[in-house]
Amino acid sequence: MTLLVSCPFHCFKWLHCFNNSYTFLKFSGTVFFVQHLHMSVFSQSFSPCGRFLAAGNNYGEIAVFSLSSALSPDATDLSQKPILTFTAHEGPVFSLLSTDSHLLSAGNGEVSAWSWAELIKRVIHNLHFSLFSFVFSFISIPPLQENSLVIGGGDNNIHIMDLESGIFKSVLQGHTDYIHCLSVREREGEILSGGEDGAVRIWDCRTGHSVHCIEVFKYEDCARPQYGKWISCLTTDSDWMLCGGGPSLSLWHLRSMSPTSVFPLSGCQRQATFYQDMILSVGEGQFVSHCLMGGEVKAQIPCTPHSLNTLALNLNSTEHRVLTVGGSSHQIDVFANLYYRSFSLSF
Amino acid sequence: MSPSVLFNFNDAKDAFTASTRSALDNKTSKPLINAFNQITGNETEKKTTLDQALRQVLEEQIVSCYLALIYLSIDGVTEGLCSATTPFLLLGDVLDCLPLDQCDKIFSFVEENVSTWKSNSFYTAGKNYLLRMCNDLLRRLSKSQNTVFCGRIQLFLARLFPLSEKSGLNLQSQFNLDNITVFNKNEQESTLGQRLLNYINPLHSFSKEDGMEVEEGEMGDEEPGVPAPCSIPIDYNLYRKFWTLQDYFRNPVQCYDKFSWMTFLKYSDETLAVFKSFKLDDMQASKRKLEELRTAGGEHVYFAKFLTSEKLMDLQLSDSNFRRHILLQYLILFQYLKGQVKFKSSSCVLNDDQCSWMEETTKLVYQLLREIPPDGDKFATMVEHVLNTEENWNSWKNEGCPSFVKDRPVDDKPKRPTRKRQAPEDFLGKGPDRKVFMGNDELTRLWNLNHDNMAACQSESREFMPSLEEFFEEAIEQADPANMVEDEYKVVRNSNYGWRALRLLSRRSPHFFQPTNQQFKSLADYLESMVIKLAKELPDLPSEEIKTGEEDDEDNGDTLLKESNDSPSMQTKVVSNQQMDEIAAKLGAQWKTLASQLEIKAAEIREIETDSEDVDMQAKLLLVAWQDREGTQATVESLITALNNAGFPKIADILNET
Repeated sequence: MTLLVSCPFHCFKWLHCFNNSYTFLKFSGTVFFVQHLHMSVFSQSFSPCGRFLAAGNNYGEIAVFSLSSALSPDATDLSQKPILTFTAHEGPVFSLLSTDSHLLSAGNGEVSAWSWAELIKRVIHNLHFSLFSFVFSFISIPPLQENSLVIGGGDNNIHIMDLESGIFKSVLQGHTDYIHCLSVREREGEILSGGEDGAVRIWDCRTGHSVHCIEVFKYEDCARPQYGKWISCLTTDSDWMLCGGGPSLSLWHLRSMSPTSVFPLSGCQRQATFYQDMILSVGEGQFVSHCLMGGEVKAQIPCTPHSLNTLALNLNSTEHRVLTVGGSSHQIDVFANLYYRSFSLSF
Repeated sequence: MSPSVLFNFNDAKDAFTASTRSALDNKTSKPLINAFNQITGNETEKKTTLDQALRQVLEEQIVSCYLALIYLSIDGVTEGLCSATTPFLLLGDVLDCLPLDQCDKIFSFVEENVSTWKSNSFYTAGKNYLLRMCNDLLRRLSKSQNTVFCGRIQLFLARLFPLSEKSGLNLQSQFNLDNITVFNKNEQESTLGQRLLNYINPLHSFSKEDGMEVEEGEMGDEEPGVPAPCSIPIDYNLYRKFWTLQDYFRNPVQCYDKFSWMTFLKYSDETLAVFKSFKLDDMQASKRKLEELRTAGGEHVYFAKFLTSEKLMDLQLSDSNFRRHILLQYLILFQYLKGQVKFKSSSCVLNDDQCSWMEETTKLVYQLLREIPPDGDKFATMVEHVLNTEENWNSWKNEGCPSFVKDRPVDDKPKRPTRKRQAPEDFLGKGPDRKVFMGNDELTRLWNLNHDNMAACQSESREFMPSLEEFFEEAIEQADPANMVEDEYKVVRNSNYGWRALRLLSRRSPHFFQPTNQQFKSLADYLESMVIKLAKELPDLPSEEIKTGEEDDEDNGDTLLKESNDSPSMQTKVVSNQQMDEIAAKLGAQWKTLASQLEIKAAEIREIETDSEDVDMQAKLLLVAWQDREGTQATVESLITALNNAGFPKIADILNET
């Protein structure tokens, strides 16, 4: 199994894992793991019922937190700890995805599936999928194809795999460097992928061909040569697309394939999402940025981790409709009200 | 049952009212009975209608009878017919007997006649009665239901009594400790109903309901004890900390206790951090919603306290007015903690850390206030101004709320004219040395070079105008044809030179003013001719030159010293080294007495003592120090004066002889 030689994230340092050797430090009365100091949270996913949050970190661990107990009025410090932590992979867990019943995790060349029902009951049962010869970073569920999984690989290709059998169904080739992020357009049945080569490619699921290729760094408004040309975040909302990374975060109109607004955010944005009429974005910087579609940054809400990797909105449940962000810290900030941090969950 | 004719309430009431009035007039109930029998309808209906009619007539009677009576009594007092307390007693009786809605009318009467009550004949007699009457009324009224009436009573009292009336003041600066803010400490106590309003927080949007009809204590539809399923996530942490702060605002004395202070600090920091990160903007959105609120809601309901349901937390945080309330509470609290209040016990002091935290937080609070739209800046400046004026009220209270009416001043003893202290002699140069001491040695020296500025300006050394000979020497040389100087190199062509030449000529040469018929094309030509003339005259210059009143001679620097009254003598000369040696030898150990006469500072005396052991040497050092200080003014004369004053006439004579 080859280890990753280069990492797609500029912020975080590759450190040796303290595999199974924990160093305890007595720090003002609490036991403080040295591991925690170097922990980064890379991925998050909410359970289908919306009451639990799964987060994956750079040590290959997945922690499951109970949102309902953390948000209840009787919450104590203990409720902000995970109800279950387990090692899922040998390498970092870069991507987590929830289907209707399962949690899929990707890391270190393998995809694993865990049943949510079992995880809630604190049972860990790994439904393994095939191991791959390459390392990959992102996964998604493609449109129009149930039970399939799209995997963006370190071998510059996108693979579509069948979840039942674990066999690869097709390969989408076109990128010249490894893939960072994936997104799907349900209505048109398209997959969007962004990669290290700075290109955003739009693939048609049925034909498997690249329909469009947008090289974001070639557009003067967006390009930031000092940061590079790689695309680290990509998200779509039918007609609109947000992409950013090396180039500035920009909003694109997909029908005309042109950028409509560029957001003046310093640092590379790692994840962005549309929410009602706003755009929420996280990246380098100790805050969550709220931007308007017109291109202005409305607010920057401070949070605990110094640099953020992942942002997730719990749309599965109304009572627990919170925003959670995680990054280069062992703490995951929870926002019950978008404008201020309510509390933090901790690994 | 179906009556043949329907019972019409209004007609019946009118009929009853009319018959009641006539019954009153005639003092018999016959009209009433007749009316009753005439009107068709049910027994109960008729009875209730008659009740209403009777009450209505009573109400009319109040206006006509009772108030008339009270007017009568007032007139009686002014005429001196009855004692001054009578109208008040009558008023008190009436108000005690009537129900609240009719008290309204009577009270309007009271309000209108406030000027009467304040007039001399009524005031002293009646003010206590009036106060008691108003307090009784207030006790009967409910603050939340009869707000307007309560307000009117309070206003009336404020108009009636002067500002320093003791019964209206909180003389001991006590706090309303009963003003407890309740909030839900655990979920079971949550009683808020489900109806909420669509508002600013984008994370949660509800369907819009009609108006803000939420009231505390309203029970939901579920059984008590079962918490209503909450439709939004609630940050209980912030909720609890936020409302706990109200307890500190209610009773600020708690802040002086160390443990409570720590809690207060922690919670405040968290709350203010939330305010800071949760910036309010989107004024258009909130304005629109405010309009909707106003039109949707009915009458404005008055809430005397905060609504503390946890579900409202988000909405409240998004509201500018709410934020302003909380931030203002902070400022008021800080003012109390910092201020000098006579009634604080001596243990109520803040230490330095607490003070510095308060300073920082005050700055933060003002900054937050300025950021709150709309008109944040204006609001903040206004608040600052108001809190500053509060200081005046605070000091008024500390003095025991003295009256604002000035007493007639008692005639004082006639003031003795103050005696002006005379300036010390030495100060204005009237001393024996005729020196002006400027407080600094250097300045003294400079000033005493010449006291009179005008004379100094006119002194010889300030004479800067050159003589004709000097200035034109070069030009004359050049004009000599034997030297064969080219025209363009002649100095007279230089415009600067030419200008100066003209000025000099106007001051020194008569030729300048002699009229001439010669036409000169340029300044240079004119100057050439002048130069030639001067050259001819040059050997004669010393005798023919007309002096313009300036003395060029006598450039003696020493004569700057204006000793014109003294005949120039050796005594004006500076003391020489030899003379100083002689004096030092003679002085010996007594040099210290001379030191005081010479105005040597104590520090210098000490320095001299440490410098050398030999007394002669010390004396010499003293004289040297004196000379250093005085410079050109270290004259023999002044030394003689000093010696004489110190009691060394013999030594002074030595100087005189030399």
